[in-house]
Amino acid sequence: MRRKKQEPKSFKKELLVDTLKLPSDICLGALRVTLTGNTEAWIENYRGILEYTDKQILLQTKSCKVCFEGSRLSIDYYTNEDMKISGCISQVRYI
Amino acid sequence: MVKFLKYMRGYLRIKVWGFSPERFMNLCSNREILLWDIEKDGDTYRMSLSLKSFYRLKSIVKKTGTRVAILERYGLPFLLPKLWKRKVFLAGLVFTLFFWMVSSLFIWDIRLVGNYQITQDSFDTFLKEQDIKIGMRKASLDIEKLEKEIRRVFTQVTWTSAKLSGTKLEINIKENDAPISVELPVETSGADLVCQYDGVIVSMIVRSGVPKVKIGDMVKQGDVLVEGSVPVYNEDTTIREYQYVQADADILLEHAMTVRESLPFDYIEKVYTGRTKTKYYLRVGEKKLELPQNSPFLVYDSLIKESCPLVFEKLGIPLSFGSYTYREYQNVECEYTLSQAETILSEKINTFLETLEEKGVQIIEKNVKIDTSDNMWVIDAGLLVRELVGSSVTIEPEADTVSETGEDINE
Repeated sequence: MRRKKQEPKSFKKELLVDTLKLPSDICLGALRVTLTGNTEAWIENYRGILEYTDKQILLQTKSCKVCFEGSRLSIDYYTNEDMKISGCISQVRYI
Repeated sequence: MVKFLKYMRGYLRIKVWGFSPERFMNLCSNREILLWDIEKDGDTYRMSLSLKSFYRLKSIVKKTGTRVAILERYGLPFLLPKLWKRKVFLAGLVFTLFFWMVSSLFIWDIRLVGNYQITQDSFDTFLKEQDIKIGMRKASLDIEKLEKEIRRVFTQVTWTSAKLSGTKLEINIKENDAPISVELPVETSGADLVCQYDGVIVSMIVRSGVPKVKIGDMVKQGDVLVEGSVPVYNEDTTIREYQYVQADADILLEHAMTVRESLPFDYIEKVYTGRTKTKYYLRVGEKKLELPQNSPFLVYDSLIKESCPLVFEKLGIPLSFGSYTYREYQNVECEYTLSQAETILSEKINTFLETLEEKGVQIIEKNVKIDTSDNMWVIDAGLLVRELVGSSVTIEPEADTVSETGEDINE
C-alpha cells in the first residue's frame, strides 16, 4: 500500500522537472556518470561506496545501486561531491 | 599546483583494514575528508589523506571498527624537523640568504650603452673621478647627479639616462651626431698661400687673394702662390691700403718625389717548438686568482682567453675564468730572397701610393728599382705626381708698416 503511494509521487516530480526543463541531476538527485573511454569514470551525486575491490566498485545512489566492473580499478579521489574511478572498466550495471 | 600545495601541507599514505573499510571511506567523505589514490591490496585498502584530516580519523575508526596504520609520510611538515637537525646545512642556507641580501645592496656591474666617440676608457676614468665603481653601495649612488655630471663633462652627450636594474647600473647616452661646431678664431690679419714643393703649376682656381703665379710657372718651395693682402688703389693707381683676406685657392702642382723603402737582408722568424703550457685563473671583479708560476719557457708568447658564463653575466656577477696558453718559440734568423724582398717592398710602396691616392694625389709617372746597399734591400720609386698645394701662412702684422708706406705714398 505504502509502495503504491510513493510511485506516483516520484512520477509527478519527474513530470514537473521535465515540463519545467530543470536539470534532473540537481532536482532529482540522479546519478551523473562521465565516462572517458573505458579508463576513467567521473561520478557525481552518490551516497557512498558499498563495496570496493579491484574487480568491481558498487555505489549507492539515491534511487538505485550502480556497479562498475572491470580490472585494476582504483579510486583517484573520493569526496562528498564527486569521485573518480580509473582502471579498465568493462561494464556499468544498474541494480 | 595542487600537488605542490599538498606537499607543503604534508600528507600521509595509510593502510585501512578491518570490519568495513567502505563505511570508513563513506564517513570520511561525509566529514569532508579528502581521500585520494585509493587502492585495494588484498584485504587492506591503501589511500592518501592530508595530515590535518588524519587527526580527525579517530572517531571514524572507532565507529567503523577498522584499523589504520601509517605507511609513509610526505611533505614539508615531515621534512622540516629533519632539516632542523642538520645544523651545518641550515647555517649554509641562512648564510646564503644573508649573502644574497647583502650583496644585492651593492653595484656589481656598470654598463655603458650608446657611446661612439667617448671611449670606454675615458668613461671609466670619469666614473673613477665620480667615485662610482663596481662594488659600491647602491644607496650612495646619486643617479641624478651622475646624469648631470655626464652631461657637464662630456659636451657631446645630448641625452643621458642612468638606470639601476638589480645590481646592474646601466648608463645610456646619446651623442651628438652632428659634428661639433668649432668656432674658428676670427683672424684679423690675412694669410698667404705658400708652396710646399718645387714644381710646375698645372691648374689654379683662386677664390680669394691675389694670385702671384700662373699656370705653367715653375715654383720653388716657399714661394708665395696667392697673397692674402689685397691692395686697394687710390684713383691715381697708388696703393691706399691693403685689405687682408684668407688666401684660398685650388692649385694643382706637378712635381717629382722619391720614395725610398728599405728592408734588411735578414730577419728573425718565430718558430714554435710546439711545446705549450696552459694555466687557468679565476677573475673576481678586478682581482685575478691564479696559481703562482715561474716563466714557463725561455722564450715564449702567451695567449689569453677569458669567458664569463652567461648566467653570471645576466645576473651581474663579476665572475669569469680564463686561461693563459704559453707557447714556446725559437728565434730563427732567416734571409730574404730577392723575390721575397721584391714582394714585400713593392707592397710597402703600393700601400704608400694608396695612401697618397686617398689624399687626392694623382700619380702621373712611376719608376721603381730595387738595389742592395749596406746589408739591405732598397727600393727607390721616382714618382711624378700632381697634388693640391698651398699652406696657409699668416701674414705678419705689418699693418703699421703698410699704413706707413701708405702714408708715405700719400705724402
